[in-house]
Amino acid sequence: MRPLGPTATTLVVVLYVGAALAVLQGFLGGGPPIQFGVSLVAHVTGMAAGYGAAVMLILMSRAPWLEHGVGADRLARWHAWAGPLVIMLTLVHAIAAMAAWADASSLDLVAAMKDVLNLPGLMTALVGTAILMLIGFASLRAVRRRISYARWHLLHLLVYLAVGLGFAHQLAGPDLAGRQWLQIAWALLYTYAFALVLRWRVFQPLFQLWRHRLRVEDVRQESADVISVLMSGEHLDELRAQPGHFFRWRFLTRETWHLAYPFSLSAPPTRNRLRITVWARGAGTRRLFQIPRGTLVFAEGPYGAITSRRVRRPRVLLIAGGVGITPMRALFEVIDLPGKDITLVYRASTVQDLVLKHELDEIAERSGARVVYLVGPSTDAENDMSAHALNRIVGDLSDHDVYLCASPRLAARVRDSLMDGGFPRHQLHEERFSF
Amino acid sequence: MSNAALDYRRRIPRLARPSVAASPSLIRWTLRTVTLVLFGAATAIGVDLGTSAPEISPASVVQHDVMSADR
Repeated sequence: MRPLGPTATTLVVVLYVGAALAVLQGFLGGGPPIQFGVSLVAHVTGMAAGYGAAVMLILMSRAPWLEHGVGADRLARWHAWAGPLVIMLTLVHAIAAMAAWADASSLDLVAAMKDVLNLPGLMTALVGTAILMLIGFASLRAVRRRISYARWHLLHLLVYLAVGLGFAHQLAGPDLAGRQWLQIAWALLYTYAFALVLRWRVFQPLFQLWRHRLRVEDVRQESADVISVLMSGEHLDELRAQPGHFFRWRFLTRETWHLAYPFSLSAPPTRNRLRITVWARGAGTRRLFQIPRGTLVFAEGPYGAITSRRVRRPRVLLIAGGVGITPMRALFEVIDLPGKDITLVYRASTVQDLVLKHELDEIAERSGARVVYLVGPSTDAENDMSAHALNRIVGDLSDHDVYLCASPRLAARVRDSLMDGGFPRHQLHEERFSF
Repeated sequence: MSNAALDYRRRIPRLARPSVAASPSLIRWTLRTVTLVLFGAATAIGVDLGTSAPEISPASVVQHDVMSADR
């Protein structure tokens, strides 16, 4: 795990303090006393779930200070870890609150449920909880494998509705009611979270669509399963995109407008052109092979932190596995160091899988950088990607900044080997994704 | 939505495509203003929601707890 930067560290501290305040505010005075037992469980889980839902919105808002300061990959991991927790807390809260109500009213659970659902805001909260359960169920690994990414993504978007439906109940809940400063703070937490989402997930891409008028100029077949999509637009320099960055691309055709594909730039951006290279891994990405020229492109970004700005050492090693070559190809062309001591190690199963090879060879020849292709079964000794083997390829590995982009399994193997070999963590730059 | 409808050159009226290029600094300031207005509105809505929220919880399990403890 790469160390947290200052933005991420500050965010983690703020989030934990916020969580502690949200959960403990019932004991801090000013409110009615809380009974221990099932009632306490209902209070604590309710506040934690409400706070967690707002935090999830903020983390996924695509605000640049989060995407660049924390990292899109880390935000996605936090979301994947905390999302199910929020759903669990919501479920426990609902059950515990019902049990506490039944106990206090001397009713059975069914009668207590009917009683509670007649209260203002509770029916909408129940619908919101049901939507969250549905999303949680669809995200279970076994279920997720059976539904397309497009369906799952559309379902996932319902989370905004679910969170909105639960909000009225939270403000009127016993933890906040009657404590106006807390109600204002809570309402602001939610309105700011939604404002962030609106600003960066809706306004920004719409603005970029209007300003840059990005359209597909050409689709080039690189191999049977790989295409490059060349897009042209206006004022693209204003995006400040760099090699190593990625965007979330939405191609506005009838079949693909609802899918946001996260792909890295595979060539350095210019004032009027961007290029991505796509490996078809499923029906969703396969659809891009038929994208007509002239298709409008709705792009969110740029995101990512593995740019050439991270170079601190005199030598650079780029490690790419499979389609992980795309950001490395773009970086390979622009990392400019005295003496050009740059090595690209490119791992693929077959020669046919070595996409963009002719471009890499051309860059290497022009710049004096070195490309090493490791092709064939990973069991072959010459395809070893351990720290020891990499050290043998480049010599004095510790004097390098290492950029890594590969499949999760290969990236983990290389990362673990580097860490076990004592390679300094801050010299390893990677963005981890699994689609 | 058809592919043809998405081709702005054919479908979006000319009015939507400004003939005078906006300068980057004008664009930046416009975006900042939009952000400011958006968060200003979020603040106003948040404060309004907070101040108009119920003073007594209709779903107060706590009050039920207290009442049952009193009984």
